[in-house]
Amino acid sequence: MANMGMAFAILGAAFAAFLAGMGSAVGVGLAGQAAAGVVTEDPNKFSKVLILQLLPGTQGIYGLLIAFIALSQTGILSGEGSEISLVKGLMYLAACLPMGIVGYISAKWQAKASVASISLVAKRPEQFGKAMIFPAMVETYAILALLVSLLSISGVTGLPI
Amino acid sequence: MAVLQMQRINICALKKDRKAILETLQRRGVVEICDLSSQDNAFQKDDTSDARSQFEKTIVLANQALETLDVYAPEKSSLMDMFNGREAITTEQYQTYAQKAPEIEKAASEIVSLAKKVAENKAEILKLQAQIDALAPWMGLDVSMQFSGTRCTAAFIGSFPEQLNLEQIYEKLAQAAPEVTFHIEIFYSSRDLTCIIALVPRQQAAAAEEALRGMGFAKPASPPKEPPKEYQAILERQITDAAQIIDSATETIASHSAMREPLHFLVDYCTMRMEKYDAISRLLNTRRTFFLSGYIAKVDAPALEAELSKNFDIALEFVEPTEDEDVPCLLRNNKFTEPVTGVLESYGLPQRGEIDPTPIMAFFYYFLFGLMFSDFGYGALLAIGTGILLLKCKNMEPGTRRMIKLFFFCGISTAAWGIVFSSYFGDVVDIVSSTFFGREVTIPPLWFAPLDDPMKMLVFSMTLGVIHLFTGLGIQFYQHVKAHNWYAAITKVILWYMLVGGLIVFGLSTEMFTSILQLTETLPAAVGSVAGWIAAIGAVGIVFTNGESKNPFVRFAQGLYELYNVTGYLSDILSYSRLLALGLATGVVGSVINQMGSMGGNGIPGVILFVLVFLIGHTINFGIELLGAYVHCNRLQFVEFFGKFYEGGRRKFEPLGVHTKYYKFKEDN
Repeated sequence: MANMGMAFAILGAAFAAFLAGMGSAVGVGLAGQAAAGVVTEDPNKFSKVLILQLLPGTQGIYGLLIAFIALSQTGILSGEGSEISLVKGLMYLAACLPMGIVGYISAKWQAKASVASISLVAKRPEQFGKAMIFPAMVETYAILALLVSLLSISGVTGLPI
Repeated sequence: MAVLQMQRINICALKKDRKAILETLQRRGVVEICDLSSQDNAFQKDDTSDARSQFEKTIVLANQALETLDVYAPEKSSLMDMFNGREAITTEQYQTYAQKAPEIEKAASEIVSLAKKVAENKAEILKLQAQIDALAPWMGLDVSMQFSGTRCTAAFIGSFPEQLNLEQIYEKLAQAAPEVTFHIEIFYSSRDLTCIIALVPRQQAAAAEEALRGMGFAKPASPPKEPPKEYQAILERQITDAAQIIDSATETIASHSAMREPLHFLVDYCTMRMEKYDAISRLLNTRRTFFLSGYIAKVDAPALEAELSKNFDIALEFVEPTEDEDVPCLLRNNKFTEPVTGVLESYGLPQRGEIDPTPIMAFFYYFLFGLMFSDFGYGALLAIGTGILLLKCKNMEPGTRRMIKLFFFCGISTAAWGIVFSSYFGDVVDIVSSTFFGREVTIPPLWFAPLDDPMKMLVFSMTLGVIHLFTGLGIQFYQHVKAHNWYAAITKVILWYMLVGGLIVFGLSTEMFTSILQLTETLPAAVGSVAGWIAAIGAVGIVFTNGESKNPFVRFAQGLYELYNVTGYLSDILSYSRLLALGLATGVVGSVINQMGSMGGNGIPGVILFVLVFLIGHTINFGIELLGAYVHCNRLQFVEFFGKFYEGGRRKFEPLGVHTKYYKFKEDN
C-alpha cells in the first residue's frame, strides 16, 4: 500500500496511451478501408487518400505524449521510482483522463469525417484542400484535451503534496 | 503581386487566318475564349464534336498502346523522374512528328491488336489445358473413346460415379442382367470415378446397356475421334502453337518500344488539336470572317496585340468588363509568396473587390508551420531535401515546383524555430552525449524550452493568434476602404477591434486573468477601466449597427446575435493553442524515440540499436508531424484567418493553351 500513488499515476499514463491509441487504431482502420476502395478505382489518388487516412492517427500520438510525460514525472523511466503520495497519484490519473477519453472518441468521429472526405476526393480530387479541413475540425477537441492534460500534469508536479 | 486586372478581348478576322490565329493564341496561352451565343442569323457556329471525338478515340488508342508497351517493354524510371517535368520539343521535331501522325496511329493500332492476340491465345491455352486435364482418366484406354465394338462384340466405354472394384461390378451386373456375359476392364479408378471398358456379345448389347445404365454408367461427353493419348498429343501441339504465337507477338510488341516517344507525341498532338477544335466551336463565323471574344490579363494585352496585328489582317479591341460579368481570376506573385498560391487555390480564388491575400498569408504560413514542426533536424532535412530537388530538377512542372518550394521555405522556418526552442531531433544531443560520452551536453534554447514552461508557450501561441486574427480584420478594413464603404469599415472592423482588443486589455488588468496565464505583471486598474469602456462602446455599437434588417426591432435582435460572435473570437484565439500542442508533440515524440534508442546502453550493440531506432523512429515521426503541421497550418489559414475577411470562390482563369502530358512545345522567339 505504500506506493499506491505510483500505481495510480501509471494507471493514468496507461489510460492516456491505450484509450487514445485504440481510438486512432479504429479510426485509421476505418479510413483505410475507404481509402483502399478509392485506390482500386484510381491508383493515382493514393497520396491524397493516404493523407486523409492518417488524420485520425494523431490522437494516438497525443496519448503517447501524455503517457510519456506522466511516466517521466513519476521517475519510472529513469528507474528511480520516487515516492508519490496517494493524492498526487490520483491527480495524475485525473490529469490523464481528458486525453484518453476525448482522444478515443474524437479519433473515431474524425475517422468518419475522413471517410466522407475520402469519398469527396474520389469524386472531386481538385477539392482536396477543403476535404482535409473537415476531419481537421474534429481534431481541435483532441488538441484541447491534450492541452488540459498537459497543463494539469505539469501543474500537479509542482504541488507540495 | 496580386489579382491581375482582366480585360475583354474581341477579335474579328478573316476565316482563312483562323487556324493560324488560334494557334498563336494557343502557343501564348494568355486568352480564355468565351462561348458566344449567336443572336441572329448572320453568324453561325461550327460544330466540331465529330472531330473532337475522333481525337479522343486516337488518344484512347495511343494510351492503350502505351500501356501495352509498359507491360512488355517496361521503361526504367527513377524516383527523380517523378519530379522531372515534361521534355521540351523543338519546332522541327514537332513538324516531323506531325507529318508522321497517321503512321504513328497505325503503329498504335497494330500494338493494340497484337496485345489482343496475346490475350486471346492465352485464353486458348487455358481452354486446351482444361481439355487435357479432363482427358486424364481416359489415358489408360488405347482405343478411341468412340470405339463401339467389333463385328461380334459391342464395347461400352464410360464411367461410374463412384469407386468400384472389378468384383463389385461383376456382382452388380450379375444381379441386374444374369443372362449377359460381360468382360470388364478397369483402366482408371479414383474416389468418385471408375472408368471401364465393357465387352459383350453384340446380340446382348441392349440388355447389357440397360444393366450398366442402372448402375449409373455414363458415356463420356463429346469424345474425340482419336485415342486419348494421340488426342492429348494433338492438344499439346496446339498449346505449343499458341505459345509460339504469343511469343512472336510479344516480341513484335517489344520491338516497338522505340514507338513510345512518338506515341507520347501523338497523345499530346491530339490533346492540343482537341483544345483548338473546342475553341473553334466557341467562335462565331460568317462566310469569310470569324469573331472571337475572351478574357486576357491587362499586362499581357500589348504583346499579344503587337504580334497579332503584325502577322494578320485583324480587328482587335480591348474592353473593360462590366460589373455583372463572370470574369475569371488570375494571380501573379513573387518568388517568396508564390508557393502559397497553391494553398489559396485549394480554398478558392478571391472574389471581385477582394484583395489577393497571398503575400500576407505566405508570411504567416511559413511562420506558423515552422512553429508547429519546430525542430532543427527535421527542418534542416526538409529544407536541404527540397533544396536539392529544386536545384536538380530544373524541368519540374510549375505545380510540383510550387509545392516543393512551399516546403523549402517551411523547412527553413522549422529549423529556425528548432534553434529558438532547442529541439534537435528531439533531444538527441543530450541523449547521445550522456549515453555514449558519459557527459551530458545540452544546447541551450535561444529563448526557452516549451516543455519546461508550457504556460508561457501557450500565452505566446495565443498572442500570435490575436495578431493573426487582427491582421485578417485589418485586411477586411482595407477592402472596405478600397470600396469607399467607410460605414462598413467602421461597424464591421473598428468596432470589433474595440470590443475584442478592449476585452483582452481589460482581462490583462485583472488579477484573476493574469494569474491563470501565469503572467508576472498585471496592468494598472486605470488602464483596465479605460479598456473596459472601449469594449463596452464597441459592444453597444455592434448591437446597433451590425443588424441589416429594415425593421428596427429585428435589426436590434440581429445586432445582439452579431455580438454573440465574440465567443467566436474566443474559440478562434484558443484554437491557436494547437501551435503549442503540435510543437510539443514533435519534440516529445522525438525524445521518446531517442530514449528508446539509448536503452541498449554504451558499447557497439548499443550504438547499433541507437542508429536503427533513430533512423526508423525519426522517419516515422518526421512524416506524421510534417503532415500534422501542414494540415493544421492550412486550417488556421482557412478557418481562423480567412474567416475574418475572405470569401473566395471565383472562377479560375483557364486560357486556351497547350495542356500536354509529355512534351513542352517551345516557342520560337
